[in-house]
Amino acid sequence: MIGFARLMIVGLIGLTLAYWLMLIYMRSLRREALEKDWDKAVAEGQQPGPREAFVEDGLAAYEGSLRRKLIWLVVIVPICLFGILLYVMNFSS
Amino acid sequence: MRYVKWGFLALIVLIVGSFLHYTLPQHDIVRVVGTYQERQDLGDWTRIFWSSPDDQSGTLVNRDVQFIQTVRANGDPMVYRNEDTGWGWPPYFKFDTASLQTEADDLRSSREAPVWAVVTHYGWRSELFSIFPNAIGIREVEGPDVTIIPWVNIILLVILLVIILTIRAMLRQFKERSIDPVLEDMGEAWDEVESRADAAGDEVRGVWGRFKGWLGTWKGKPRK
Repeated sequence: MIGFARLMIVGLIGLTLAYWLMLIYMRSLRREALEKDWDKAVAEGQQPGPREAFVEDGLAAYEGSLRRKLIWLVVIVPICLFGILLYVMNFSS
Repeated sequence: MRYVKWGFLALIVLIVGSFLHYTLPQHDIVRVVGTYQERQDLGDWTRIFWSSPDDQSGTLVNRDVQFIQTVRANGDPMVYRNEDTGWGWPPYFKFDTASLQTEADDLRSSREAPVWAVVTHYGWRSELFSIFPNAIGIREVEGPDVTIIPWVNIILLVILLVIILTIRAMLRQFKERSIDPVLEDMGEAWDEVESRADAAGDEVRGVWGRFKGWLGTWKGKPRK
């Protein structure tokens, strides 16, 4: 069972790392897009308010969005693949 | 220098390529002719080619290993080992060695009345080093000419490519958003330091120049 424990620990660390990196990456992309939106709005002569507040509001909206929740797929898909592989390899002919 | 660079790249491609070739599943169309079990010494460097299916097997000096003897469609013999991979590497999570051995026994056929089967396996066969590919699945097929599409390999390689491209995109984003601005700040700070140094240099030159000018007055030269 030590082998199983080792796999679980390594897998958990790997998945946590992947999730965390993905989280940072997606937030960074979102922030960049918001900054560009603000620049565009200003260029078009609108009044989007102060830049910092615009970006922070956008990020706050992003935190509750579906896109933010979809990052969980980074964790869920490998675990599902693991389960399917375990079943196909051993319990189906 | 160019040869070193290309040699280094070729070495990396070779290592990654052989790693994938060893680890990814492959299919052989074979006729099973027998199975056997043999005690194998595990004490030398070829240990890395045997599995360590459970925790205690890592410390064993020798162990019984099951084998599946086959003849391929082109007439060449091929012998597979049949070992659990357990929870370890490569991640096939194979625990059904005994069942697989039974299935292989069930598929035994003679040259006169061949029954063809496709063996999914990973690993290499080397007569010289006595290493064997590990069979991970067997199923009967129509004949020796069936086409097998390696879906698992296609999917895995696509996933691998997606992961590599994602990491590359992450690194680029990190560089663009976190490193470049800092470098720019540093560049600006450095420019400022340089211009300050220039100004200070001018000032020093000015003081020195004035001092020389003052010295010159002793020799009767007019001050500039």
